[in-house]
Amino acid sequence: MREKQLRTRRPQSAVPTPAAGAPAPPPPLCSRRLRREARPAPCAALRRAVSREVSSAVRTRMSLFGSTSGFGTGGTSMFGSTTADNHNPMKDIEVTSPPDDSISCLAFSPPTLPGNFLIAGSWANDVRCWEVQDNGQTIPKAQQMHTGPVLDGCWSDDGSKVFTASCDKTAKMWDLNSNQAIQIAQHDAPVKTIHWIKAPNYSCVMTGSWDKTLKFWDTRSPTPMMTLQLPERCYCADVVHPMAAVATAERGLIVYQLENQPSEFRRIESPLKHQHRCVAIFKDKVNKPTGFALGSIEGRVAIHYINPPNPAKDNFTFKCHRSNGTNTSAPQDIYAVNGIAFHPVHGTLATVGSDGRFSFWDKDARTKLKTSEQLDQPISACCFNHNGNIFAYASSYDWSKGHEFYNPQKKNYIFLRNAAEELKPRNKK
Amino acid sequence: MTICQFFLQGRCRFGDRCWNEHPRGGGGRPHSAGPVRGAGGGWGAASQRYANVIQPPIFKHSTWGGSGDGGGFSGASDFGSPGNKSAVFSQNRFSALSSAHPADGFSDEEQRLLDCVAKDMATWESSGQWMFSCYSPEAGKPNVSGFREFSAEEVRLEYYNCSANNNTENYINSVNQLVQEWRNRLQELKALNASGKESLLSQLKNAVTQPLPSLGFGGQQASSFGFPSFPVSSSSSAASFSFKANPSVPPGNAAAVGSSAAASNPPTFGVTSSPSVPNPVGSGNSSAPSAASFSFKTSGTTSGCGTSGLSGFGSSAAANSSSTAPLPVSATPSAATGTSQSGASSASAAQTAGASGHNVTSAPSAVRDGIRPERLYTPRSELTAEELRQFAAKRFTLGKIPLKPPPADMLH
Repeated sequence: MREKQLRTRRPQSAVPTPAAGAPAPPPPLCSRRLRREARPAPCAALRRAVSREVSSAVRTRMSLFGSTSGFGTGGTSMFGSTTADNHNPMKDIEVTSPPDDSISCLAFSPPTLPGNFLIAGSWANDVRCWEVQDNGQTIPKAQQMHTGPVLDGCWSDDGSKVFTASCDKTAKMWDLNSNQAIQIAQHDAPVKTIHWIKAPNYSCVMTGSWDKTLKFWDTRSPTPMMTLQLPERCYCADVVHPMAAVATAERGLIVYQLENQPSEFRRIESPLKHQHRCVAIFKDKVNKPTGFALGSIEGRVAIHYINPPNPAKDNFTFKCHRSNGTNTSAPQDIYAVNGIAFHPVHGTLATVGSDGRFSFWDKDARTKLKTSEQLDQPISACCFNHNGNIFAYASSYDWSKGHEFYNPQKKNYIFLRNAAEELKPRNKK
Repeated sequence: MTICQFFLQGRCRFGDRCWNEHPRGGGGRPHSAGPVRGAGGGWGAASQRYANVIQPPIFKHSTWGGSGDGGGFSGASDFGSPGNKSAVFSQNRFSALSSAHPADGFSDEEQRLLDCVAKDMATWESSGQWMFSCYSPEAGKPNVSGFREFSAEEVRLEYYNCSANNNTENYINSVNQLVQEWRNRLQELKALNASGKESLLSQLKNAVTQPLPSLGFGGQQASSFGFPSFPVSSSSSAASFSFKANPSVPPGNAAAVGSSAAASNPPTFGVTSSPSVPNPVGSGNSSAPSAASFSFKTSGTTSGCGTSGLSGFGSSAAANSSSTAPLPVSATPSAATGTSQSGASSASAAQTAGASGHNVTSAPSAVRDGIRPERLYTPRSELTAEELRQFAAKRFTLGKIPLKPPPADMLH
């Protein structure tokens, strides 16, 4: 009965289906054609329920019913009511005018800038900037374009410039006051990471690229100050002066020290078994960087100290973003960890994953503080603002299930959450 | 089952026929008392003579339980009298062999690694996690070869570039290809045969990581990315693959096989049900049986794949490069499994490449090289006289089956 209502209420929106296989979205499908194409979805009734724009989230889940490991496994229960769509189960603040394609990176402005400004780079080739007010209102401020998807972005230490790295093999410096962006870096392959380094005696931009190099740029000069070779393509990096951690393909992991001049400090054997996906440096009680957290595609995060008193005991890994939790006997669905961020004040960390959840952890007490409800899309990026009051996370498709589950019509979101209370560390007994 | 008290004392009269449980490691202590008609008397005696020959890996000490010294390995006293046979010829016949010298080559540490690999492969398959990732069984060990690594962003960028050029079919086929490779490698590692295990272990002990087979692929494609861009004919469907963790029904596989073998023989793979016209995705029925036979599971299907593949190979042998020579028919069962897999998959790559020719066939054999660094056949000079005799004989003698593949000239 309900499906009948859905079918007549609104015509199909043009969505690409896997079966059609054409590069352009096919003309609006009627549900009858869908049925004819014998989609592998188990429930015939659900196949008809594709038309609603509100249930576009549902549609994504629907196409996943064919797979054993899509979001549909968890989403069946959420399909119960037609009106609730699960794009914001945590009831967090939505940022206005989010990007049109998946968000690859989020960054808040540094404390030198009054107020909170958020930048987000996306696969729609743009990087947008919002002002986040204390009442939670977000005001879009400006945007800049690249010629390829933007993979990473960061702020300068004074908050006047934003650096963006893109698949067009360049990195740009965006002056927010003048709203002008100039190219400052060039690589032979897409630039995956970009960070601003502020040392006592120098400052520069560090870019990591899939051309297996790490380059350091003075923004005034077209040639890099320094180039360091990486063993493989750079997948993720983090900088907290004077330490930089870079994780590459083939489980490579290198730590650099940045005093005087960036130089390789140590190559570390990866504590994880699979591809590295994200890395974040954490600091000790006296605010010195002392280690990093490394996330992989296999739902696992490794906490690694650089010079621990007892490496075997201090370094550890924990599992996260898996479907079954503690019940390890049944085969779990394992999701990639897309981002890790440390709370600047409490030192606790947040992880976001392909399963559409975020979790807060206390690494010193080795406990989980909180896990969110499941969103209908993967969470692709996250970050904290400078004082740790705001936690921002982006809900958009991260390609973890291939092109089949990519729906360009699906809306992408950035959510803001109040993080002051939830990330307080557990008191160690 | 109840534990056999007599066995624990070392004097169970029934030996292997005993209905009670003989715990491994708990028994086998030789006991001079107890006249028994040992059931496996001749068996045990014969095996002792072959103690110094390479043991086939299925007779691992784990099956037979360890019992420390004695046990009859020293030969003389305990084996001399038939009366003592059952004391030794209980379930831990080969215990002394294993404890004295791990002739089968797998110590506990290595066994643990192998188990770890198998378990991780099973998890990887069922969990739906990202498949284009490197893998290592333990932190600190080098990566296991044969897994190509791409991040999600790289794959996505490739898709965006292809769709900008209206070339999504190319992308889809490339990805299907990679998925297929991944599945093959995963199945291989899940069910390693003896030589596979040895090469894997030697790889893991080697600090040097294997050179990426991507070099073979990377050399011959246009995009900087590294996707193999095979000259796929226009009849290939835009078969959407899926990252689904279903080994039993991978519609993408059958379609990829069907479509990519446009010019050549699809039935080569034993995928008899798929016609040369590629299957549209979603018609799961026709792809299911072909997928099942294509899944490279251990015994039945693989041999089916291999034998039906033989005919195909024979006919197109002239066209194939040397690395896809006809499968050795007389090889040992375990070796046949390994080579038929590699033969089939390198043939599949050969078929798909068509004009690309040797570049591509060398690449998958580079992939295969990861598990078998030595050649497909061993030259005569490398085989001992015993092994040559085994190859020359009509049947293999149990306990003497050589681990290296036979020399090429002995095959026909």
